[in-house]
Amino acid sequence: MSEFLMYLTNGIVMGVIHAISAIGVSLIVGIMKVVNFAHGELYIFAGYFSYHLSISLGVPPLLAMPLSVFFIFLVGIGMERTLIRPTYGDEMYSLIITFVLSIVLQNAALLIFGPYPNKPPNLISGATNIFGLYHYGNQRLLSFFISIGILVFIFYLIKKTWFGKSIRAVSQDRGMASLVGVDHYRVNMLSFGLGAALAGTAGVVIAPIFPVTPTGSSAISLTAFVVVVLGGMGSLKGCVVGGLILGMMENLGAAYISTMYRQIFGFIILILVLVFRPWGLFGQKTQ
Amino acid sequence: MGTIVEGKGLSKSFGGLTAVKKIDFYLEEGEIVGLIGPNGAGKTTLFNLVSGIFHPDEGKLFLNGRDITELRPFEICRLGIGRTFQIVRPFLKMSCLENVMVGIIGRNDRNRGRAEIGREAEDLLKFVGLDGFEGTIAGNLTLIQKKRLEMARALATEPRAILLDEVLAGLNPSEILQALALIETIRSKLKMTIFWIEHVMGAIMKASDRIIVLDQGEKIKEGKPEEIVSDPRVIGAYLGETDA
Repeated sequence: MSEFLMYLTNGIVMGVIHAISAIGVSLIVGIMKVVNFAHGELYIFAGYFSYHLSISLGVPPLLAMPLSVFFIFLVGIGMERTLIRPTYGDEMYSLIITFVLSIVLQNAALLIFGPYPNKPPNLISGATNIFGLYHYGNQRLLSFFISIGILVFIFYLIKKTWFGKSIRAVSQDRGMASLVGVDHYRVNMLSFGLGAALAGTAGVVIAPIFPVTPTGSSAISLTAFVVVVLGGMGSLKGCVVGGLILGMMENLGAAYISTMYRQIFGFIILILVLVFRPWGLFGQKTQ
Repeated sequence: MGTIVEGKGLSKSFGGLTAVKKIDFYLEEGEIVGLIGPNGAGKTTLFNLVSGIFHPDEGKLFLNGRDITELRPFEICRLGIGRTFQIVRPFLKMSCLENVMVGIIGRNDRNRGRAEIGREAEDLLKFVGLDGFEGTIAGNLTLIQKKRLEMARALATEPRAILLDEVLAGLNPSEILQALALIETIRSKLKMTIFWIEHVMGAIMKASDRIIVLDQGEKIKEGKPEEIVSDPRVIGAYLGETDA
């Protein structure tokens, strides 16, 4: 029993991190109708930045994490300004550009950081006994609470703030938002930066648990896409629920069926969703 | 009184079709100007040019003497031209209050507190007769309510001139009267210039100071309502050719 609970806890911890990463993809799709294939690379870069900042430059790990995320945010803004903005109006171009960019960035990561997995130092050591049932690593618990904090922040940002209202207006009707004075170019740029920063956040939160490698990036993008499709395009709630379902499926499946198939579970979900409920759990049915 | 919006020699083509041909027009401060013409006359295209959705192929647009021809819609909006649509476009998944707030955010006026803006949005909803609907999701409103909401959102941007595209379309006679009363209040209380497209002839003739008639992209007549109704070219445009 305690074993099952531990796998379940693992699933939930992974689930919230999947959710953060997926919200990054979902925001960009919802607002800009751009699918960012370079999502996984931004995640990997953030992981390496936080590793090198703390190990090579001696920055305290707790500071290295937000610094790396901020850097990825700037990278995202730079990408939007230079590569994505000229493609507005034709989604096919942005699709090709982000796809090419993912290959370029992956190889850049191989060149800069080398092929070896790297892992920033743990922020905290030891384990906690959960309700007297099982012991659970403190680093994982910390990652979980950081992720929850970030999810709360994102929901607050989108639902309550001025910026969030502008974002929602642009995602519902870009032309109309512009006609009531919303600068949709600025909203696009900041949302792309935010989406990138969320990829980075997932990267720095998970890197102390699962080391990052340059070649791991495609799997990360694909996981995020599976969660977005499962939860429903453009739905934040869907990303959270989808992330949790995927996280638990992967971990329970790996534990009770085979670790060999960990990656497969996501795609089984993806196929089932596409066949039976193509608009996802919380998405809207469109004709 | 002075000219607030002015268009000179505006032309716009889509492929081989010229939607608007060399149109000159002006709007005086505080005026209600009607824009009429048969379907496909270029009325909505002219509105799209003024609000910056399209840029004209030829010609210039001025707002208070400033050239706004190449500005983007949000820049034109911030300078003071508001707009509603024939087919209403509220942000369907947001509440009425949030819809109006987006218009206030659009002004990019950073010196105002959150509470103050919330109150202003509530006042605007009350002004258009939507008090009590603050928390209602816009998608659940009836057509007239959506039109009122769209009006409130356009007013929230604090326009000097407002473009109304067939606000009366799809409304029943009593709703038309309510909408006309609202338009009159906008002019008398808020002192705004109103430029409106309408197919309900009785209403537009009664409420406008001046009428511009378009046909096949060209301005065929401009004048006071009583001059328009008796003009043979206008009648011809609506009823078909009169002269062989």
